[in-house]
Amino acid sequence: MTESRTRLSSLPEALAPSPDILDTVVAAETPEGILLELRPAGLTARFYAFSLDWIIRLAVIYAAAIVARFTGGIGIAFWIVLIFVLEWFYPVAFELMRGGATPGKRVFGLRVVMDNGLPATAAASVTRNLLRAAEFLPFFYGFAIVSMLVRRDCKRMGDIAAATLVVHEPRAVSRPPLDQFMPVVPARPLAPQDQAAVIALAARAPTLTAERLDELAALAAAVSGDQGRTGRAVTERVLGVAQWLLGRRA
Amino acid sequence: MTPLQFEKLYEHDWAELELLLDRVLQRSGTRAERAAVSGARLAALYRRACEHLALARARAYPAHVLERLERLTAAGHQLIYQQHEFGLARLRAMFATDFPAEVRRQWRYVAVAAATFMLPTLVVGVLVYRHPELILSVVTSDTAASYETMYSPAADSIGRVRTATTDWMMFGFYIRNNVGVAFQCFAGGLFAGLGSLFYLAYNGLLGGAVAGYLTERGLSSTFYPFIATHSAFELTAIVLSGAAGLRIGHALVAPGRLARMQSLVRATHESAILLYGVTAMLLVAAGIEAFWSSATWLPSAAKYGVAGVCWTAVICYFVRPGRATERHAG
Repeated sequence: MTESRTRLSSLPEALAPSPDILDTVVAAETPEGILLELRPAGLTARFYAFSLDWIIRLAVIYAAAIVARFTGGIGIAFWIVLIFVLEWFYPVAFELMRGGATPGKRVFGLRVVMDNGLPATAAASVTRNLLRAAEFLPFFYGFAIVSMLVRRDCKRMGDIAAATLVVHEPRAVSRPPLDQFMPVVPARPLAPQDQAAVIALAARAPTLTAERLDELAALAAAVSGDQGRTGRAVTERVLGVAQWLLGRRA
Repeated sequence: MTPLQFEKLYEHDWAELELLLDRVLQRSGTRAERAAVSGARLAALYRRACEHLALARARAYPAHVLERLERLTAAGHQLIYQQHEFGLARLRAMFATDFPAEVRRQWRYVAVAAATFMLPTLVVGVLVYRHPELILSVVTSDTAASYETMYSPAADSIGRVRTATTDWMMFGFYIRNNVGVAFQCFAGGLFAGLGSLFYLAYNGLLGGAVAGYLTERGLSSTFYPFIATHSAFELTAIVLSGAAGLRIGHALVAPGRLARMQSLVRATHESAILLYGVTAMLLVAAGIEAFWSSATWLPSAAKYGVAGVCWTAVICYFVRPGRATERHAG
């Protein structure tokens, strides 16, 4: 987290991420000059979403087939048209709605956006989905899978051509609990990134086991002047520093 | 300024922006409340949130502050800058002028696609007509026999073996089949245009072989009246989607002064209008094929007459509409 923040604070670096940083964040610049972070979804998440969509479509087609059996010729006609519509326009219809995601994508927290973070346009959505006709070759979306695996932003060919991106919806970050520990004045001045790291540790503290929290706090013990020591008391002092950094004073 | 002070100072702005975004995006609140959302106020709050985000990043404020501001700015950005390209007026302009104008602008690709489609049709058609046994190198003997049954004058509907099913069923079938072919011709463009060339030539070859075979078997009196009318829309649409595929293939191979990916993206976005038009044409084609072409009670002369009208209409459509706006645009 701290890594990407540092990177985003300076523009030229952020626009050309250096390859040694193990992160897939794509920065989209808004006209206001701020960078929006987009987190491209990888093959696995997209495979799950695709499978779910596939099952949904299959279920709809199956249910419609049962209805069509009872209604006869005209029912079968609508059934065939339904297959056609689901085949090509199911993703398009959902991507152009507010959520920008098919039901499968929504379940797995994904959505389709343009490269600049805006909702997908009709032209982009139509082309990215029609290009599937080439990508499912040679078998089981072979070209799409290769394209997703070799690219840092996990685009399939349709995404490249339509300038779209499948991203993870941002996940809510927990707030560090206040009032839990007495604020402790840092033992030395801390760089902004280090301050953020200590506060992030405090925010994560409720989700960690006591032992793991002690281990992590021991790594940051220098901030409270406890370097080399570990234990519950040290952890409380480090978290106290986080309280002080947030702005609480005794 | 500590993070807590920062949050306290601007909490009011952020909460208001959150509320307004919620009203518009999630459609929360009453109708009157939603109508009262001021765009100017929302834009002002959004820009302020952008400033706050920049500040918060520069000062490395805690993740939860950044996350909240990022969420607010991302939602505001989406709302304020999203493009609206829907609406009936837009649709009308598209079919009245934009689609034919785009086809004319891409006439080189259309010409290449048409040639790639028609040359195999003619060559293979003549070959199969001369040597009907060659049909077996294109389709199996069962398929060839079923074509013959379909177009035999004794059948009560042409182009298919009619069972208890209706014209509507065939409509569904034709739509699915033809659109599949057209979209393949387009998507094949991703492989440097070679896929488009292949699908165009392959479908042309198949059509030529069937036509040559049926003509040789003496079934031209049922086959040609059948295909004459809907082919005006169907074959044109397939050629146009192939042209769109060639366009993106060419953009990929020879990007000119653009970066390769930029060139591809531009060609793809400009091709979208061709795809809308192609889909509409294939709908028309499937309708004609299912309800008009296959009717046996119509005399061939009527079918040829209507076919002539359709072909003229299609050609005029691509030659004429939208000229005025093109001149206007310079």
